[in-house]
Amino acid sequence: MNKKLLFLLLTLLVGAAVVFFLLPSDEKKIRRNLNLLAEYSSSTSGEAAIGELQKAAMAGKLCSDPCRVHIESFAITHDFNKKELRDNLILMKKMLPHTTFKFHDTVVELTGNDRAEIVTTLSLSGKIADDRVTDAYELNVIATKTEGDWYFSAFTVVEFMEQ
Amino acid sequence: MASSNNIRTFLFPSLNRKYLIRLVFLGVGCYLVFGHLLIPLRIHGQSMDPTYRDGSFALCWRLQYLFSSPQRSDIVTVRFSGRRVMLLKRIVALPGDTVEFRQGVLYINGTATEEPYVRNRSSWNLAPRIVEPGHVYVVGDNRGTVMTRHRFGQISVARIVGGVIP
Repeated sequence: MNKKLLFLLLTLLVGAAVVFFLLPSDEKKIRRNLNLLAEYSSSTSGEAAIGELQKAAMAGKLCSDPCRVHIESFAITHDFNKKELRDNLILMKKMLPHTTFKFHDTVVELTGNDRAEIVTTLSLSGKIADDRVTDAYELNVIATKTEGDWYFSAFTVVEFMEQ
Repeated sequence: MASSNNIRTFLFPSLNRKYLIRLVFLGVGCYLVFGHLLIPLRIHGQSMDPTYRDGSFALCWRLQYLFSSPQRSDIVTVRFSGRRVMLLKRIVALPGDTVEFRQGVLYINGTATEEPYVRNRSSWNLAPRIVEPGHVYVVGDNRGTVMTRHRFGQISVARIVGGVIP
């Protein structure tokens, strides 16, 4: 009897875990979009120009039009449209030709049915000429839901270190 | 003969209940120690060179400031949004101190500070500023880079995750 109960409990636990991991949710969609954004923004060595263009366009598609970028230390506060975003991503890829972007320690908070606030750390590692480059930034990101899809509508760099 | 049996038992233990319980305790123990108390760090970048070189390893001791407050010349880890990616920096000034750089030399409260850990020095110049309460001033040991490319400044004490070992 005890063994049967244990087996039943284990089956229920495994079932609940499978449902939890497989069921789609808004948070999972946002996290997936964030990972895609990092993948499309990254540059690999020897990447063809057409490939770069495609990836930049796909990254732009993950953002709303307009998308606000705020970086206080560089005095940047600007609403970028899709074309501007794509052009800036291409420019960035040219400046950082072998760079991998990754998001870590991401916390997604759904603040409404169609709005989410994300706190995350963007790390970049790569090479410029022969010099290794590593850097990281804390970001506050706003995501909004339009017609069932999530788009990033604002990026703010958190400046916690003040010279 | 007995010792070879012991080695065999050690390498290939029988999967009994006692062994499984030991395994679970070991797993939980490792998770608690290396996930929350003594976090392994892989150093990326040259900001703390030569004290910590690019590619080297260290440990972040989270209980360092449980019963004490951060002191000058302590090396600390500073968090971003979590603990997966952190900055490694040295505390050079405490709340109320005046920080200044003149030709690469660090001045605290108007006095030039001896920093034996700094090997590369560029001519950094930074006007005097006072560290706010609840904050510390952190800088990397590698001062050979251009000042604008080195990340340093005042951070909230709440951002400090722990000290660094060794």
